[in-house]
Amino acid sequence: MQILRQTNLEALEKARALGPEGVIALLGKRGLEGRGGAAYPTAKKWKACRDTPSDERFVVCNADEGEPGTFKDKLIIRHNAETLVEGILVAAYAVGAKRCFIYLRGEYDYLRPRLQEQIDDVLARAKMEGVTIEIVRGAGAYICGEATALLQSIMGFRGNAMAKPPNPTTQGLWGKPTVINNVETLACAAQAVLFDDWDPTLRLFSISGNVKNPGVYEFPLGVKMSTIIDVARPEKKLKAMSFGCFGGIMPVDENMLVTPETICMEKCQHGAYSIIFIDETNNVVDVAYSIAKFYTYESCGKCTPCREGTIRMLNLLKKVRTGKAVRKDLELLRELATHVQDTALCGLGQTCGNHILTSLEHFPKDYEAYMKK
Amino acid sequence: MANENGKKDARPLLNILHEVQEQHGYISEHMLKQIAVEQGIPIARLYGVVKFYTMFHTEPQGKYMIEICGSPSCVLNNGMRLEKFLENEIGAGIGETSKDGMFSLYKVSCIGCCDEAPAMLINGEPHTKMTVERLRLVLAKLREAEAKKADEGKKK
Amino acid sequence: MKIKLNNSEVEAAEGKSLLDICRENGINVPTLCYHASMTPEARCRVCLVEMDGKLVTSCSTRPREGAKITTNSERVMKARRLNMELMVPEPTCRREDDYEVCQTYKEVGMGNARFLQIKDYKPDLGAAVIRDNNKCINCGRCVKVCADIQGVYAIDFASRAHNEHVTPYWENNLADVACIRCGQCILNCPVGAISERSHVEEVVAALDDKDRHVVVQIAPSIRAALGELFGMPAGTLVTGKTVAALRRCGFAKVFDVDLGADMTIMEEASELLRRVENNGTLPMITTCCPGWILMMEFFYHGLIANMSTCKSPHEMLGMLVKTYYAKKAGINPKKITVVSIMPCTAKKFESTRPELESGVDYVLTTRELGRLIKMRKIDFAALPDEEFDPALGISTGAGVIFGATGGVMEAALRTAHFLATGKELEKIEVDEVRGMAGVKEGSIVLNGKEIRFACAHGGANARKLMEQKGKYHFIEIMACPGGCIGGGGQPIYRDPEVLRKRTEALYSADRASKLRRSHENPVVKQIYKEMLGAPLSDEAERLLHTHYVKRDRF
Repeated sequence: MQILRQTNLEALEKARALGPEGVIALLGKRGLEGRGGAAYPTAKKWKACRDTPSDERFVVCNADEGEPGTFKDKLIIRHNAETLVEGILVAAYAVGAKRCFIYLRGEYDYLRPRLQEQIDDVLARAKMEGVTIEIVRGAGAYICGEATALLQSIMGFRGNAMAKPPNPTTQGLWGKPTVINNVETLACAAQAVLFDDWDPTLRLFSISGNVKNPGVYEFPLGVKMSTIIDVARPEKKLKAMSFGCFGGIMPVDENMLVTPETICMEKCQHGAYSIIFIDETNNVVDVAYSIAKFYTYESCGKCTPCREGTIRMLNLLKKVRTGKAVRKDLELLRELATHVQDTALCGLGQTCGNHILTSLEHFPKDYEAYMKK
Repeated sequence: MANENGKKDARPLLNILHEVQEQHGYISEHMLKQIAVEQGIPIARLYGVVKFYTMFHTEPQGKYMIEICGSPSCVLNNGMRLEKFLENEIGAGIGETSKDGMFSLYKVSCIGCCDEAPAMLINGEPHTKMTVERLRLVLAKLREAEAKKADEGKKK
Repeated sequence: MKIKLNNSEVEAAEGKSLLDICRENGINVPTLCYHASMTPEARCRVCLVEMDGKLVTSCSTRPREGAKITTNSERVMKARRLNMELMVPEPTCRREDDYEVCQTYKEVGMGNARFLQIKDYKPDLGAAVIRDNNKCINCGRCVKVCADIQGVYAIDFASRAHNEHVTPYWENNLADVACIRCGQCILNCPVGAISERSHVEEVVAALDDKDRHVVVQIAPSIRAALGELFGMPAGTLVTGKTVAALRRCGFAKVFDVDLGADMTIMEEASELLRRVENNGTLPMITTCCPGWILMMEFFYHGLIANMSTCKSPHEMLGMLVKTYYAKKAGINPKKITVVSIMPCTAKKFESTRPELESGVDYVLTTRELGRLIKMRKIDFAALPDEEFDPALGISTGAGVIFGATGGVMEAALRTAHFLATGKELEKIEVDEVRGMAGVKEGSIVLNGKEIRFACAHGGANARKLMEQKGKYHFIEIMACPGGCIGGGGQPIYRDPEVLRKRTEALYSADRASKLRRSHENPVVKQIYKEMLGAPLSDEAERLLHTHYVKRDRF
């Protein structure tokens, strides 16, 4: 796997030889894009941060990987943390930041002691004057993976998403320019700086669900779905696949070529390449219900449609599952899901109806099965 | 006292809250006041922060915190069965603590162990590919260890 | 910059929000969580408009050159309606018409009622301010005003998702935490989830009790605001009508707190001069505002010695009603009920302070008085102008400006100058303390000594002023923005301009007064002559002064 290649502080050394502008130019040339889902060119982000006049800048590593079905950043923290830390240092060097943070989700707290050791070790060897890396311990809030909520959380506030502008890159922590990249992006940054043969098309895929070989795999963008299914090895006939929670529940199409466009449709705001496979023994409504529960629990509560809409959608799905729903309820469900997506403040709200809209569209029979009971 | 913005040079508030909770098992009203004074944070705001994050508790918790993963991957791999078994076994529902003070049961969004589903965290440590049988063994071991500790405590 | 607004091209200034641009162009966009003096949070999402095919919140969105904005498409209307439906599943706008949400409903159009109410919170019933989270729509304005404008931080959001709710820490009641009862949260609540603890019923019961002699006194700022509740424009002075209405409500006597204000000035100006002459604790800080007193008692224990010991004007007058007036009128003080009409919710708390041994039995806010007048089916606008009862109803222009920020200071300086020098101020208006600046300062010379003074209004401004208090001899603090005219018991207003208009009404009343200095008030002179002797006499100290306590900062 490319992501597991070690950089051994050579990427940082090369970065120092290139100078900050040189590093950013090189990353631009290599074509590194953010791996959180928005696919924003990393070089562009770093440059915007660097070019914003300020006495202080920050680098934040987003290790709040909370999307259900996603566990690839955990693999990097476990198996290649040195390269991740080096990536943070390269970013700090490139944008001119001293204080760096790793926002580690609370559910991964058991990884923290070893990660801390590795941070200390790399920092000691890197000899970067005045640069610090602090682990901020997340405490069970999915929304903090959202950039603006993440910053609120680091500053010690409730993890509420904030209206943009201002954009964190130019006005982030304590109003200062702040680069936020996730774990995979920063690890890739170190690798992309160092290795001439670094391949920008390789992505980490988190595969889980009703399959015998779940796990993290590396595939190039455009990989055929049948290839993924072959390695995942479902036991029974597959019926559906859910792209994380936000991407919606789709029928399994073996000929689909997995690209950002196909996996997220047009609504994609955040998230990585996570596929939860669902086999024919399951009713898709049950999966939609568990996703709806997730959103109802994880909404930050700030904006009306997401705060009030998620609980209403969950209640309607409950009604479906108990056989009490009528056709009008499904219409209301669809209306709500569309409405929340249309009018919510942040990425979570804008995608939290996807599972409902897609399941209603592609699996009407599963709904009917419950309605007939 | 009132500090409108988060303090820049202070340690991250979440880390402080975690440490207080690790020391005392939960964040009591008394501790909340102490943190408010030490950090110069208005107490209503501090309380709001504590209550935003589901890992912080404002009431005493069981000796073992069991957090069952509720992600679709775990649900698809019989996670619900574990939930029912646990509720029965320890005699406490989701969000409750068993009468003997041993276990607190929570259901959480996703603990990132989807490739080893179904999974749960027990006092922060992942327990993966769980079955009812394995879970029974784990609980028995924990109870045994506690009983032993209690015995040793009596001898002293 | 040019943008396209509902098919017509308009010029828009760079950096302006869509909401402002719409309003400048006469297009009404409904809002709930938006407030002109706070940064937009974009929580409620009622102010949605379409920009280049996307729904955006107009309060927080700034358009780009050439943006296409639609404010009235079916999609926009439907989205606004559904957000309203989600926020307020079972609308109730019957009881009272002055909540913003009722206006928003009119603008958005009542939608369906397809959702059941699922909130189940226990109401928080304090003695001054009450909260019902079941009505709350999580707009966050109360939280923001409490923190940003008032600097009190008594409430914040707790929990998250659909369980997110506003609360004092540890789910306490407001009455049990460091809340200064200023009621600014009430003014900012668009749905009436926060309101004053009503005492209308108790007052009606007293009025109906034949054995009680019920007298009422009205604060200066009431006359500049009450008219708004009866459809009159902000800034209409309704002194005479208010007196007439109160008589028709059944009050035996209608007195003027302005007289109490004149008494306060006599005592406070004397106290200031005594402190200056005897090297007493300075700066001396005014104590007319019960919200500020609470703020000091919660957060500034070191300031107790700086606080004037004067009771607030209505407490002074309440005491005089039960002593001076009772004796003159030959009524057993135990049979007298004193009702104060105040612009303030903290006054409700004040009258229960044991330190005061208060003469005031009930405090009604301006809004409650409005309700009482409506209950009694009095046609307010058609009332004739009537005069206060002269026993305790003659006052000066100095008393009336108490209702505006800087007014107490100005009134005190008018009298302090006379008491110290035997001469009147050359210019009666003290312009340095007028206006809406958060902190104002100035100085005068009394007998060759410079006296530096400062005023602040709004708790956050008070905090700022306290950081540099050492520079001054005399400080006036009002907890509410604008002073009492912007008090938490006043009619709910949306436009900050309202405060300016109410203030102007008070200054015009001052200008129209024959007597404009507290020491010229004949009733005041009479009270000193017949009962108290002189300011700061033992009897005056006993009846008109008080002390303060330290309270837990939480």
